[in-house]
Amino acid sequence: MKDLEDQILVRQALEADPESFGELCRRYYHSLVAVADSILLDHHLSEDAAQEALAAACRQLPRLKKPERFGPWIVAICRNVARDMLREQQKQRTPIDDRRERKCDVENDNQKAILAEALQQLPQHLREVIFLRFYNEMSYRQITNVLGVTEQVIDGRLRRAKKKIGDYLKKMGFRR
Amino acid sequence: MKHENNNQWLDPMLDRHIHREPEEFDFEKWAEKHPEEARLLRNGYKNSGRDAKMKPSEIWRFIMESKVTRYSAAAVIVLAMTLVLFNPFWTPGNGGIVLADVRQKIADTETMIIRGTKTFMNLSKDDNVIEINGLRCEFDLVKYSSKQLGLVEEGRVDGKLIYRITFNRPKRQAVLVLPPWKKYGAMAATDEQMRLMENLSPEGIINMLLAGDHKKLGRDMIDGVEVEGFEFQQPDLFVDLFPKPIFDIQTLEGKAWIGIEEQLPIWIEGDFIFGKSLLTLFNEVRLHEVNVVEKYDVDLDDKIFDTDVPEGYTEFGLSDILPFIPVEAKAGIAGLALIPAGLIFWRQRRKKKL
Repeated sequence: MKDLEDQILVRQALEADPESFGELCRRYYHSLVAVADSILLDHHLSEDAAQEALAAACRQLPRLKKPERFGPWIVAICRNVARDMLREQQKQRTPIDDRRERKCDVENDNQKAILAEALQQLPQHLREVIFLRFYNEMSYRQITNVLGVTEQVIDGRLRRAKKKIGDYLKKMGFRR
Repeated sequence: MKHENNNQWLDPMLDRHIHREPEEFDFEKWAEKHPEEARLLRNGYKNSGRDAKMKPSEIWRFIMESKVTRYSAAAVIVLAMTLVLFNPFWTPGNGGIVLADVRQKIADTETMIIRGTKTFMNLSKDDNVIEINGLRCEFDLVKYSSKQLGLVEEGRVDGKLIYRITFNRPKRQAVLVLPPWKKYGAMAATDEQMRLMENLSPEGIINMLLAGDHKKLGRDMIDGVEVEGFEFQQPDLFVDLFPKPIFDIQTLEGKAWIGIEEQLPIWIEGDFIFGKSLLTLFNEVRLHEVNVVEKYDVDLDDKIFDTDVPEGYTEFGLSDILPFIPVEAKAGIAGLALIPAGLIFWRQRRKKKL
């Protein structure tokens, strides 16, 4: 089952084969956690978001028009779930950003704190590709499957993201 | 392709900061936590009563429930529709200039800046440019498009900003501001509305257009760039999307010129004819639009896609657009309103008799 393509697994899942959906879950779970983490900046919440995204995808599976694009589709769902969670967090007045800042203060690790800030100031789509690359050491090819864009795009985003991070660190007086 | 020496000194730092040993996904545990979904997977979807396609009635409900429609902000939707139809990712039919490559390139392009014109003409008045309170609806356009952040269209007359419409994708918001009148219209999309919006996304539009016929126009030069042209007609494109009394797209004709080397659209122009409907304020309207792609893949500031309404602006309502509806159409609207009013009166009388 591990070698089966996404579209076959989707088709089988639609025909009452739970294990096919399970395989899709295993295939994309780590990417979903990384994407959610790039939005929520909280690992435990990101796991919840990834699990919720899988549930939403399960409910909406018949709406998926191109089963071969299951990866980008479920990632889009996960982004929405994570953004909703972030909004909820902000409503409850426990902003994740604040919590992260507090965590950094406690750690008293200046370099880490500056890097966290540098990541925070990145546009979401650049932060996402950084998290996918470094969270689970995903290859360009794997990221391509997940985001549905070419390796060239991934490379461009990574370069832009790292340039922005590098510029920010230099601006903050960080030395290599 | 990969730029090996590009800020590589950051890699170990980023790795230490972000990397985690991932836990394996436990499907059994997930299924226990989500019994409803697990049941769906076990029993299959055929009898679940879920409909994969959005029915016209749902689209109708979407339109009627939207705040924009409730306030009869017809102009917003007309502008929004034309914006989406003429967004920079738009390409013509299948075949020809390796359209698969063009499609891929469009899919890979992150941002674009477009310039052009948008002219609204009154069909019943010999194609005269429509004037609203002395303002000629002949706009100079600038469009900013980002796959991640959304779309912005600004319309100017004599250099003065008349309207700015922003679709902010992450925030799921659409806002139209009209600086000369200090008015705005805003719409926050629900999940259902976002799904509908997805169908009107660049990719969705491309897919719809790929279903249609086109004619090759041959090669030409635009500003020193060698291009190949396509002409197409899609009168039935949105037949099922809106009921005709709401939005009646009668014809849609367009030409797109694609750079042979760039494999991306360079020049796009088109004509729409809209019949008398609510969203054209009961006028027959011809829209001519020209889009020239100025830049691809440039850094666009997030602030461009900001949906904050400037201070001192008020939301527009029905009273703001009533003056622009022709008298005969107003009578029609009044007539429509009499039907439910008559029904209520009849029901009340019937109750009393019983």
